[in-house]
Amino acid sequence: MKPRIIQGLVVLAWGIQADLIWFALPMAITLEARYFVNRRWALTKQDFYRVADLTSIAMLGMIIFLFLNARTYHFITALIQWLPIVFFPLVIVLAYSTTEKMTLDILFYSLRRQKEPVQQSWDMDYLLLGLCLLGAGFNTDDHSLFFPLAATAVLWSLFPLRSTRYKTGIWILAVSITFLSAGFTHQVLREAHLAVKAKTEQWIANWIMRRIDPLKTRTALGQVGRLKLSDSILFRIEPDGDQAFPSLLHEASYDHPSTGASMEWSVWETKFSNVPHAGDFTWRFSDPGPTETSARIYLEFSRERSLVPVPASLSEIHDLPALEVKLNKYGAIQGSGMVPSPSFEIKYSHGNQLYSPPGEIDLYLDEKHEQLLSRIVKRSVYPAEITLAFIQNFFSDFKYSLFQEVEAESNPLEHFLYNRRAGHCEYFATATTLLLRQMGVPSRYVVGYSVHEYHSVLDMYLVRQRHAHAWAIAHVGGEWRVVDTTPGVWIAEEDDNANLLQPVFDFFANYSFMFQLWWNKQKIEDYEFELYVIGGILTFILIWRIATSEQVIISREENEKTHSWLPGRESPFFKIAAYLSEKGLSRARGEVLRAWLIRIQKPELLPLLGIHNRWRFDPRGVDANEKIALNAQVDNWILAQADQSEK
Amino acid sequence: MFREFIFPGYVRLSRASRRASRRTSERGRFIQTSAVICAAIGIDTNLTLVYQLFAFLLCLIIVSRLSLRFQPPRVSVKRRLPKYATAGQTFEYFINVSNEGGQVERDLKLIDNPRIIPPDIQQFREKREPGEETRNAYDRWIGFHRFVWLQRLNTGIVIKQGDVPEISLKANVDTRMEALPLRRGMVNFTSTTLLSPDPFGLNFSMTNFNQHEQLMVLPRRYAVSKTFELPGGRHFQPGGVNSAWSIGESDEFVSLRDYRDGDSMRNVHWASTAKRDKPVVKEFQDEFFVRQALVLDTDTGDAELLEETVSVAASLLLQMENSDGLMDLIYASRTTQIVTAGRGYAQVNHQLEALATLEMCHGATDKLKKTMSSHRKLMSGCILVLPGWDESRQQLLNSLSSAGIPTALFIVTADADKLTDVPANGHVLPIHDIAERLAQL
Repeated sequence: MKPRIIQGLVVLAWGIQADLIWFALPMAITLEARYFVNRRWALTKQDFYRVADLTSIAMLGMIIFLFLNARTYHFITALIQWLPIVFFPLVIVLAYSTTEKMTLDILFYSLRRQKEPVQQSWDMDYLLLGLCLLGAGFNTDDHSLFFPLAATAVLWSLFPLRSTRYKTGIWILAVSITFLSAGFTHQVLREAHLAVKAKTEQWIANWIMRRIDPLKTRTALGQVGRLKLSDSILFRIEPDGDQAFPSLLHEASYDHPSTGASMEWSVWETKFSNVPHAGDFTWRFSDPGPTETSARIYLEFSRERSLVPVPASLSEIHDLPALEVKLNKYGAIQGSGMVPSPSFEIKYSHGNQLYSPPGEIDLYLDEKHEQLLSRIVKRSVYPAEITLAFIQNFFSDFKYSLFQEVEAESNPLEHFLYNRRAGHCEYFATATTLLLRQMGVPSRYVVGYSVHEYHSVLDMYLVRQRHAHAWAIAHVGGEWRVVDTTPGVWIAEEDDNANLLQPVFDFFANYSFMFQLWWNKQKIEDYEFELYVIGGILTFILIWRIATSEQVIISREENEKTHSWLPGRESPFFKIAAYLSEKGLSRARGEVLRAWLIRIQKPELLPLLGIHNRWRFDPRGVDANEKIALNAQVDNWILAQADQSEK
Repeated sequence: MFREFIFPGYVRLSRASRRASRRTSERGRFIQTSAVICAAIGIDTNLTLVYQLFAFLLCLIIVSRLSLRFQPPRVSVKRRLPKYATAGQTFEYFINVSNEGGQVERDLKLIDNPRIIPPDIQQFREKREPGEETRNAYDRWIGFHRFVWLQRLNTGIVIKQGDVPEISLKANVDTRMEALPLRRGMVNFTSTTLLSPDPFGLNFSMTNFNQHEQLMVLPRRYAVSKTFELPGGRHFQPGGVNSAWSIGESDEFVSLRDYRDGDSMRNVHWASTAKRDKPVVKEFQDEFFVRQALVLDTDTGDAELLEETVSVAASLLLQMENSDGLMDLIYASRTTQIVTAGRGYAQVNHQLEALATLEMCHGATDKLKKTMSSHRKLMSGCILVLPGWDESRQQLLNSLSSAGIPTALFIVTADADKLTDVPANGHVLPIHDIAERLAQL
């Protein structure tokens, strides 16, 4: 027996909870209407296959839609909430067809070829009920409604199917125990989850603190180099108008070289300070200058990425949804609680600098480095311009080479400066920074990206992973100046080394990006006419299909009607039969009443049976007096029996 | 390779799944699956409230399981099997359930348990499930369906679950069971399981009743054309038939008559002599009737071919049942066996029983040749049923023809095109076309 009414109610509840009430309302009405409509369609297996295929396509379409709109909808949540809509065609087609169950070959394509007939089937009504409950569960605004709704839905569905072995009272008792224990269990589950979550978060935080201190962002020599092995597009930059975009995007800078050979850079001051939030996800870094230029960076943040790449002359970030944005004195911008959004806008103006003024640490060199560099130039304070010219000149005969793993035991810097005289950007940047300090110019090591690949179709700059770059900045004449000593050929060499299939990957990446851009700009209101046309065509096809397919009128009153024509149906003797059955003395199948009464030793009922039989089978029937008498006798007998059993 | 590696697990898996599917009803399984899905989806209680549904379903399952301990059914069961069943034909039988408790028993179910015989690795490796190529790639690779099919075939019978009607106090009812034998031979029944549901109808408590019994499953039979007549005519049977109605001189008793000189004293009918007060003797007549033989060759390595050959033999024997002659079924196992039926000698069922249990026999053709050389003088006609056609079978046919015995030849074969030198009057029965060919004889 199907769970009437409750299915419609659950669908409505799902609609309200999932904010899809305009889908839920017609669904609920159509579902419940089947109990009042006695028309059914004699659909073939092929028809079901077609509907199932349609459902699969709808599901696929929905997955793609949700995937592309993952910023607007939480993918899994939305998918589960929308599943009732996807499965609804199958449920409704089954409900209005002459078939009762959905065999699995309809739902699973792989079973359709099978020679052995598929026996397993799913009851789609219960499936829809379950999906609606799952979907409704994703609205966590009101904690108090879901549990009673879910419990009622399940119990309502189970009630007609309960075992007749037990009295209804036992069933109610079992239900009460279930309800109470489940109420308690879900509270416990909730508490346990919160406790475990808190504990785990703390544990993970401790573990991360031990491994990498987020405030002490470090880089290892070779980190940028490893990134350079990948061609994938990291982000795209859309400059505003014809303005040229700065050729370097910085991500973080460091002032403290590690001692020894490993050549790691870290920051001396680990403090981050909050950037003021100017509302509407706008973060202000400095006052707007007279020549402020803007650009849009298409970069999606994930959990792994929280550093925001920006030009060093940044003044404002707009459209960056985050709980807070922090900045350290080295210009590293870190967002926390970031919500995925497709892009953010930056404003920058010439003369702005994110970096703090230099301090003593920007001149720091340990003994080892000093010794190493004193083979080039003695440690002293030289005029800044001369220093810069010297350094450019010094590195002019160095060669660029692609990234290579360094051998652990050797001093890579020494090897780079005196033996190999070739390396990738990290070597140049490190050596330059240290050499600047050797010559008395405050300097820092910076990592970021080089922006040079322009895509004319997109009208944007593409930044790939292999465009990751490192350089030095020197504080000269009261401002930080970029000192990039890496030979200019590095871009060409990296490009030569790109994957042969890169254009193919780029093609797909760029067009999917363009589609997303287009898709994000679309509004349903713009397509009203097209939707009406498609909807009209589909409705016409549907009506045409329904009108032309074979139909069957089901009659649910059949049994009752035959029963009502049974002569003598109103005979009171049936009450005795029912009473005895209740007492556990029911008639066996095919046993005639007389034989039954003799078997259960109730001979006193035989005269009553005689009148009953005449009432039922005698063409002349029984007269009114006899009927009244039989009624009275039957009632008396039952009362007497009840009295006896009480005694 | 992989399948053979996990093969031992199949036995355990099929046992566990059989047990689970009995313990839990269809909606119980739905509730269980839903609980698992809810547990997976609702794991983050901040994101969704589905964990509340999970808690409810979990408690429902637990309460359902616990409630099975209350109100256990108090009944006894007794199975009544028919004497025979036929492979491939559904039959009904009854299990009588008596209420021995103090309450009306309702909503009980019965499962009858044949002895499950799982296939061995050899069988699993060699056999192919019919239609296996139409299964999806995963099912083909994992091969579990093949295992299930083989296990079902080895077990030999599929029995549907029976619904026990309501049993009033102190009463007993018959529960109708429906079973389908899948192969000929003996099927062993081990026990009957009584299922009693919980109040929600999600799980069942199981009570086992040991009832060991055997059922003889006769071979599958095909309808043979009514116009088909067995070869050969009436024939003098010297010495009569061993266990026919008459004894002694083995003639058939015809009537009583007065004594004539020279009549043997042994033929005096003493009762009538006493009644009439003069000697009366019994008169006998020599036996003239048709005695035919169905010679079944079981020398083949192909199990399916053997089954079909046996089925053809069984069909022909049954067609012959109503003729008034004798029919010998001759086949070879360790020695040659002759099972005779007809003229009150024995029922054709005895022959079918023999067919139900016979197995393939290497060198059967030669054994049959030897037997036929001595037996042929008794025969007025012969039906040869052979699984294939070769030289030694040709010799068998020739030896019968040379003795002047009219012979009908039936060759069952997997590949009719490969047969050569088949006699013109031979009936070739391709393995998948037997029913049609026999009906058109």
